[in-house]
Amino acid sequence: MDELNYNLPKQTHDIFAIMARGHFISSNGTKDGMNRLYDIINNTENFDRLQAYFNVIRYNIERGNNYFYFSRLNEANSLIEQKLETFERYIDVIDLFASMDNKITIGSRFRPSEIAEECNANVRLKQKLQKIPMYRSETLLNKVRDICNLMTRDSFLELEDEQSESYKVLDAYTYLLDMINAISIYEETTGLDSNSSGIILN
Amino acid sequence: MALQVNVNDILSQLYHQRHVVEFLFANRENITVNELLSREDISQEQYQKLKSLDLIYEYESVVSLNDAVVAMFEDFMEIGEVTPGFINDYINELKRHIRFYQEVHEHRFLRSIKKYLKRINIALSREIIKLQKNVDDTYKNEANYRIKIQKLEDYREKRDTIIDFIHKTEEIITDTRGLFNLTNDQELYGIVNALKAGLIENLDFLIEIQTDITDYINKIQFQLDVYVKAQRLKEIKDHGTLHYRTNFNEIVKAINPLRFNGIKGPRTKIAIDYLFTDEGHVLCKKVAEKYKISRLMMRGIAGKLPSNFKDQLIDQQIKLDVEKLVERFLDQSKLNLFEYLIDYKFPKAVGTVTFEDRLSIFVEIAMEYQTVMDFKYRLNYHDYEESGTKLKKRLGYTVILPLEKTEKKQKKDKAA
Repeated sequence: MDELNYNLPKQTHDIFAIMARGHFISSNGTKDGMNRLYDIINNTENFDRLQAYFNVIRYNIERGNNYFYFSRLNEANSLIEQKLETFERYIDVIDLFASMDNKITIGSRFRPSEIAEECNANVRLKQKLQKIPMYRSETLLNKVRDICNLMTRDSFLELEDEQSESYKVLDAYTYLLDMINAISIYEETTGLDSNSSGIILN
Repeated sequence: MALQVNVNDILSQLYHQRHVVEFLFANRENITVNELLSREDISQEQYQKLKSLDLIYEYESVVSLNDAVVAMFEDFMEIGEVTPGFINDYINELKRHIRFYQEVHEHRFLRSIKKYLKRINIALSREIIKLQKNVDDTYKNEANYRIKIQKLEDYREKRDTIIDFIHKTEEIITDTRGLFNLTNDQELYGIVNALKAGLIENLDFLIEIQTDITDYINKIQFQLDVYVKAQRLKEIKDHGTLHYRTNFNEIVKAINPLRFNGIKGPRTKIAIDYLFTDEGHVLCKKVAEKYKISRLMMRGIAGKLPSNFKDQLIDQQIKLDVEKLVERFLDQSKLNLFEYLIDYKFPKAVGTVTFEDRLSIFVEIAMEYQTVMDFKYRLNYHDYEESGTKLKKRLGYTVILPLEKTEKKQKKDKAA
C-alpha cells in the first residue's frame, strides 16, 4: 500500500540491499547492475521519492560526485576510534596509489600483481607498502591483494575479472579524495609547499 | 609501388583476405609475421601477394596495414586521430577554385567548388565527432596522468584550430556570396545553405566539447592535487603529528556513511513459520550439522511427491475395483457382462453406484479386457427408468461372456 503511495521504482529493494550494508552505488560499477541502479537513483523524480521513503526509516541518501550512499539521520556518532583507524589506513592506501607510476584513480584498471611488481622495483614504494598495517600478509603480493579485498568490501573497487584478477576503481573513490581534500593542514611551511606543488613525488 | 595496381586488384585482394584485414585493423599495433601466418585463413603465398600490393607492411617482423587503408576505414567509422589539417587543405582548394572561377566563369570550376564545399561540411562534422570520442576516451582510459592532461590540452588546441577553420569558411562564404548569386545555380545555393547551418551547429558542439575538456582537466587537476595532499598527509602521519597538525579528527568524526559507523546492514530474525517449512528445515539441518545439535535434526522432510501423483491415485482406485470385478465375472458363466454389472452388489465402502456409473464401468471393462472376453456381436435390450425424468427408456447392449477356458488356452498358444 505504502509502496504504491510513494510510487517507488521497482529496484528499491536492490538499492536498499546494497546501501543499507554501507556500500556505495557508483555510476561506473558493473556488478549486479550497479550502474543501472545508479541511473535510477540519479533520476530526480526517483531520488525525491526514494529519499522520502527511506527518510521514514531514518536513512538518508547522500549524493556525491557520481555515487550515492546512505547515512543515518540524527545518529549518535560512536566508534570514533575505529573510524580514525580506518581512515588512517585509507591515507596509507591512497598515498600508495598516488605514488605509483601509473597513478591509480577513478576508472583505472589494475591487477594486484602490477602493484606488487612496481613495489618490488622501487624501494620507497616497497617501504610504503610494508608499513601499511594489515594482518597475516607475508608476501608483497598478498598484501596488495588484501588491500584490494578491503577496498572492494568497502565498495571503492570492483573485481572486474576474477580470472585475471583485474580491479576497477569505482566512482565512490571520489569520496575518499573529497575526504582528504576536506582535511586542512595547519601551519603551512613554505618549504614543503614549493616542493609539493605541480608534480607528484615518487 | 612494386606493381602496377588497379582498383579491381586492390578490392579483390582486400575482399579475399577480409578476415586478415579485419584482424589487422582491430590489432593495429602489435601483430608479428609469425602470429599472422599461424592463423588458418592466410597462407604464405597470400601474405606475399598482399605485401607485393603494399596493402600491408612489415617492419622488424611487425605487420601493419597500409596507412591509407587504415585511414579509409577510420574515416568511414569516424574513429581515429583528429586531423583538422584536411579541412585546411579543402579550404585552400576551395579558395583556389573560386579564384579560377572568378577569372573564367566555367562550369568545371563550379563543380570543384561544390565538391569542396560539400567536403568541408562533411569533414567538419566528422572531425568534431572524432574529437568528442577521443576526448571522452582519453579521460576514461588514459592511465598516465601527465600524458592524459597533455592529450587533453592537445585536443583543446585542435578544437581551437577547428573553430578557426569554421570562421575561415564562414568568411569565404560571405565574401563570395555575390559570386554565388551570379551563378544562379540551385544546387550550389542548397549546398551553401546546408554548410551554413552545419557551421553554426558544429560551433555549438565545439563549445560543448570545450566545456567537457575543461571539466575533465579540472577533475584530473583535482585528483592530482588530492594525491599530492594525500602524500603530505602521509608524511605528517609518519611524523606522528596527524592528529595535532590537521583537523583529521573533526573530519573523520563527521563522516557519515553507514559502513564507517559500524553498521553492518540491517539484521532480521527468521520468522518461526518459515522454520516449519521444508526450506526452513533444510536450513535447520545445516545449522545442526555445523554445531552438532541433534534436536534440530529430528523432523524429516517428506519424500518428494511425483508430479503426476493425482492421476495415479484416481487410476489405481478404479483399476482395483475393475480388476476384482473382472475376476469374479470370469469365474461365473450364467450372466453376461451387462447383466452382471447391473445387479452386482458393490461393497458398502464404495457407496451407491448409479446406473450411469455402472454403464461407464461396463464400457471400460469392454475396452480394457477384450482379450479375456467373448464378444457375441448381438444386442440384448435393457429397460430402465431415467432417474431424473421417470421416463421409460430402453438400452441396447452387446452381449459379452467370459471366454471359455479352452478358448483361452488356445489364444495363449497362438500368442506364444
